[in-house]
Amino acid sequence: MTRTPGPFRLVALALAALALAAGALLLAPERASAQVPPTEEQAQAIERQLLCPICTNERLDVCSIAICNDMKRIIRERLAAGSSPDDIMLFFEGRYGQKVRADLKAEGFNLWLYGWIGASVLAVAAAGSWYLLSLQRRTRPAVEGASMHQPPSGDGNETPDDAWLDEQINSGEDRES
Amino acid sequence: MNLVATLGAAALLTALAAAVVAILASVVAIRRHGPARHDPTAVAVARRAVFAVAGLTSLAFALLWYALMTNDFAIAHVASVSSTNMRPVMKLASLWSGQPGSLLFWTWMMSLWMAAFAWFTLPKMSWGAPHALGTIGAVIASFLVALVFFASPFRLSPITPADGQGLNPLLVDPGMLIHPPFLLTGLVSTVIPFVIGATALMAGRLDNAWVRHARGWALGSFVVLSVGNILGGWWAYTVLGWGGYWGWDPVENSAILPLLPLTAFLHSVIVQERRGMLKSWNLVLVLAAFALAVFGTFNVRSGLVASVHSFAQSEVGPFFLVLLGLVVLASVALMAWRLPMLRAEYEFESLASRETGLILNTYVLVAMALVILGGTLFPVFSELFRDVRVTVGPPFYNDVVGPLLIVTLLLMALGTVLPWRRATPGLLRRRFVLPLAVTAVGLVALAVLGMRDIFALAGMAGVLLVAAVTLREYAIGTRAVRTARGVSWPAAFGALFNRDPRRYGGYLVHLGVIVMAVAVIATNVYQDRTRVLVSPGETFEAGGYEFEFHDLATRRPGVDGIEVDIVAQVTVRRDDRVVANLEPGRRFFTNFPDQPVAIVAVDGSLRRDLYLFVQGWDNERLTEIQAFVNPLQQWLWIGAGVYVAGGLLAFAPFRSRRPVEVESSAPSGAQPV
Repeated sequence: MTRTPGPFRLVALALAALALAAGALLLAPERASAQVPPTEEQAQAIERQLLCPICTNERLDVCSIAICNDMKRIIRERLAAGSSPDDIMLFFEGRYGQKVRADLKAEGFNLWLYGWIGASVLAVAAAGSWYLLSLQRRTRPAVEGASMHQPPSGDGNETPDDAWLDEQINSGEDRES
Repeated sequence: MNLVATLGAAALLTALAAAVVAILASVVAIRRHGPARHDPTAVAVARRAVFAVAGLTSLAFALLWYALMTNDFAIAHVASVSSTNMRPVMKLASLWSGQPGSLLFWTWMMSLWMAAFAWFTLPKMSWGAPHALGTIGAVIASFLVALVFFASPFRLSPITPADGQGLNPLLVDPGMLIHPPFLLTGLVSTVIPFVIGATALMAGRLDNAWVRHARGWALGSFVVLSVGNILGGWWAYTVLGWGGYWGWDPVENSAILPLLPLTAFLHSVIVQERRGMLKSWNLVLVLAAFALAVFGTFNVRSGLVASVHSFAQSEVGPFFLVLLGLVVLASVALMAWRLPMLRAEYEFESLASRETGLILNTYVLVAMALVILGGTLFPVFSELFRDVRVTVGPPFYNDVVGPLLIVTLLLMALGTVLPWRRATPGLLRRRFVLPLAVTAVGLVALAVLGMRDIFALAGMAGVLLVAAVTLREYAIGTRAVRTARGVSWPAAFGALFNRDPRRYGGYLVHLGVIVMAVAVIATNVYQDRTRVLVSPGETFEAGGYEFEFHDLATRRPGVDGIEVDIVAQVTVRRDDRVVANLEPGRRFFTNFPDQPVAIVAVDGSLRRDLYLFVQGWDNERLTEIQAFVNPLQQWLWIGAGVYVAGGLLAFAPFRSRRPVEVESSAPSGAQPV
């Protein structure tokens, strides 16, 4: 069994350091964008989270049919009357159904989708790890002199990659070190 | 009797008969001589039948074109997608729009790919010729059945109208002349790697022979399908008028889904060639790519998932569902049958090897495909099981696929930088130090310049890492050739592509991907949106530019069924200097009065796109205008160009370099089929 944890630890440390640096930067204060008055900005943010109830998959903020113009008006009226963005979303959801939400609520039946996503990623990760580990268990120790794997059976007349080029690159790198 | 319609229908029916002949002749060829030597006469008959199918569908396609050009409105399809005042060039778009038209184009293109395969590749794989021809016959016959019995483009109207209805407004755009052909061609082209994979399974020839033939076709398919997707993004950007280019619409998802296993295949195939591993995985990937292409067709045709692209719905949906089921079932059954023969010739030495990087990357691509498939189908399940319509939109995909894309970038760097077999700690240090240093310095610089968004920073980390690693690969390769041959730098650089086109062309694709990634990050995170209501003469500001709205104007092009264009004349200034005069507006069609489309006005530069469109106006000419400033947008198309160029470079020499197959008897373990 061959183990080469050293370089991986090095890479992991480097990546962790990068992640930390990125995290630290995030703590720095955001620049405020003050071009649009707060309510208009809020209204447009809500519009972007809603879809036109009639056109398919068209965002409310770029749709211009009458029903959408009404919805945009209602958003502003309700915001002015003190409703929260969540209340406004719920209002439209009650009126037109869940399909007007651009994002999918992570609750109830919808959790099945998140379950599927999680299961897909986990299954692929598990299958991948199992495969790689099982390959490593079957490893034959490297034999001096038998360095390159011969192309398996077939017609034996293939050159999948340019071996000459590889050698040149490797020898160049060796000289460098 | 309508001569064109009769001839067209007859051509399609005869093509179906020829496809059946191909199937029968293949069965005869296999039956008569067993697996080792197939009856040459029967093989020749099947092969010619495939050419006949291509010829006959070409005839049908030409006849439909003729009918469109001559305004033969007796044919229902012609009447529904064209009209007398359409320019001949736009009638090309009519040709592949609508249900029967796009299905005919799909079938015609598929028959051409199949004929090309039968012409160029089939003579070199005599071990599986009848299996390949039989599979081809079965696939093309299914599509011809759909064309002949469910959606014939030559069906006659009960009453011949004086004029046709014209093309769907969204499709009246020059982009429609190139985007659908590329996309449909890319989707159908996945059939060839599928046929080769299925042939290998049926003939029991599971060494590297099938892989050598499949990889060139898969690469061609990858390039065409990529171009189709990119052009789709470009069409969405310039026509749909919402300021973006990718909306995670179900049909867009269907178009990109086959590209993911195809990309994975192009990478894992290298591992099989170099290391004799991943044999079954490679088969799964080519089978899945075609199954997903059929799924995409079914998805668009059936209107199963509501989509902005659902202009081609019809009753052929269930037919495609059956076809999809058959493709999946046959694939699974073949794999299960041959699984005992698919053992790898292991020689895995270390996890710290390029094999690991490539394998992991194919896993991430497949995970991404599963995630997108789940998101695309979820609304259907929601409606089916609890009768609630939901939308799985961009926020979901951005949250889930975004991180996977960033992981892909990191693995892209890993697969490039790691050597085959094993990496010694010294080698790893040598290869990683410079790229990691470049990435760290780059990230700090970006942060100092004001980048705070975690998604943007993580994405840029991947971009910088891939850039450093890839450029380093080019540099050391060029230096190695230069030292060995004593040639100049440019000559040595050129020689790289000549010596190993797949590797260095592939790296160019990677560079294209990261340039596109930069544009995606910039336009998603730093897009500046402004929506204003302005009266003529008023000005507004957005993203540091001043926009002066002069007035609304009317244009009457008088072609393509367009009634009138109403445009807002806008002058854009920066620091009192005129940057552009733009005319965004809305286009109204005579036959589709309630379907006006946006006229998008774009002023593009390498730094940013100014993107304007008009939402509406009232009687006082108070006009609602949306202005987007999309930073680095043009780099998306530039990166796409680099990506495609890399794909073509990797592809171009494949024919001249491909070794001639030495005929050998069937490998041990092959079973009669």
